[in-house]
Amino acid sequence: MTDVPVSRLKGQLMITVERLTKRYGTVTAVDGLSFEVGPGRVTGFLGPNGAGKTTTLRVLLGLAAPDGGSATIEGRRYRDLPNPAQTVGAALENDCFHPGRSAVEHLRVVATAAGIPRSRVAQVLGLVGLTEARHRRVGGFSLGMRQRLTLAGALLGDPGVLVMDEPLNGLDPDGIRWMRDLLRHLAAEGRTVLVSSHLLAEAVQTVDVVVVINHGQLAAQGPVAELAAVTSTTRIRTPDTARLMDALDGDGIPARLAEADTVEVRGADPDRVARTDAAASVTVLELTRHTENLEELFFDLTSDHANDRALEVSPS
Amino acid sequence: MTAIANLTRAELRKLVASRTYLIGLTLSVGVAVVSVALDAVVAGKNGQPALGTAASTNQMLKLGVVCCVAMLVLGIIGSGSEYKHKTIIPAVLAAPRRGTLVVAKVIGIAVAGVVLSVLTFGLGLATAAAELSAHHLRHLPADTGTLFAGSVIAGTLFGVIGVAVGYITRSTVAAVVGAVGWVLFVETIIVRNVAPHLANWLVSGAAAALTDPGALASRALTPATAVAVLSGYTVLLLAVASRLVLRRDVA
Repeated sequence: MTDVPVSRLKGQLMITVERLTKRYGTVTAVDGLSFEVGPGRVTGFLGPNGAGKTTTLRVLLGLAAPDGGSATIEGRRYRDLPNPAQTVGAALENDCFHPGRSAVEHLRVVATAAGIPRSRVAQVLGLVGLTEARHRRVGGFSLGMRQRLTLAGALLGDPGVLVMDEPLNGLDPDGIRWMRDLLRHLAAEGRTVLVSSHLLAEAVQTVDVVVVINHGQLAAQGPVAELAAVTSTTRIRTPDTARLMDALDGDGIPARLAEADTVEVRGADPDRVARTDAAASVTVLELTRHTENLEELFFDLTSDHANDRALEVSPS
Repeated sequence: MTAIANLTRAELRKLVASRTYLIGLTLSVGVAVVSVALDAVVAGKNGQPALGTAASTNQMLKLGVVCCVAMLVLGIIGSGSEYKHKTIIPAVLAAPRRGTLVVAKVIGIAVAGVVLSVLTFGLGLATAAAELSAHHLRHLPADTGTLFAGSVIAGTLFGVIGVAVGYITRSTVAAVVGAVGWVLFVETIIVRNVAPHLANWLVSGAAAALTDPGALASRALTPATAVAVLSGYTVLLLAVASRLVLRRDVA
């Protein structure tokens, strides 16, 4: 594998998805979805299989037409960008190759079609560690090698925006770490990096910001750490649950009875909860704070019983 | 124009880089040369016309059908395999205005059609001339110039028809079987026997008027009319294909 060369800073490009809707027959794959992706960070586009991630990316890249709303890069549809392949690098599937062509021929065809100099082909092959395998037919490539070749194709135009659909699939632990470092490096150069994934444990170590969708709708978005904080729960064990709930309600803190002697408050600052308890002279036997990790948060947000309201945290 | 030039160069690169076109070209030339040689061998035997006669030469120079079938298949594979192998995705990402993709594909297959047809007919004709020369026959009793031009035009247009059919259908295999079966079986055998006058105005009939020495001599359709009819079918199919390519989601 080769170190990522220092590239010129890219143009701080924003991805904006606004009230996007896409239907396939009677199935609504994406339903009024809105979110933004900024430069300089790796944004994870998360959701279970069938949540609408790939459909959203396809609409963003002009591969599918929306039924409503829009998905734009710097306010323009992909097809309206002056040099789309040199503005946005896309790695959607890891099997978009003619199996009879070699890796270098595949990239030369893509480069020629996009008007990218041929010299760039050797550079990206080196970047993804496929220089030695460049003359091998793609049909004989492993899943990990195909993933790297897909990424090479996305990087051909040295784009300011990188959109990748499940780039961690098929990679071994070394490959995942390499991909993680590369994505972070690309974001650090000022690029806008949007990465979809259903592999939570892997994604959480790679991304700075998440956009979580479920059933085609936004479930949550914001920086990973802050999302977890907002969704933390405070549990108060008390013999006087009714008075405690009244006091919390009076302070505008939504609470629910978790057990016969336990009240649960979601998202609120535990200090504020404790002060309310004290002010109401409620006997507190135990007060604990439980912070969800991203995986718990993900399952919570994407379960069929998830709240209708999307959880949103402003990036700090 | 730059986008179309880039895409056309990419299409030509695909043709050179894949074995499919080279195999198709080799098979086409091989079939043409072997069929001419076999015609020469059987000439004058078992009731076959003697070598050097107009009938024998006509039989030998029915090479246009080889060009047409080869290019029909290559055209279908050229566009259909873009969906089969999902190479349509990087193609559309490189050229999101999909009309340019179709134009480049058509130009690419047209160039491929001219090369294949010239080589197939040219080497078949050279074989025929060599066979006649070996039997001390110096005259080729056929309008070789018209046949040559007709084979190149028909082969090229069949390639474009193949591209359109490949874009229209979802299955490359079904498209190849269906299109070749339609041209060689439905039109050439069934329709020609049931309604011979109608058959002249179909795709294979128009192609035959350009490539078959017998049909050319019969003037069932003039070469100009045949080119117009074949071009009409090509434009019609291409219009349907373009509409689908422009409107269909790429999955």
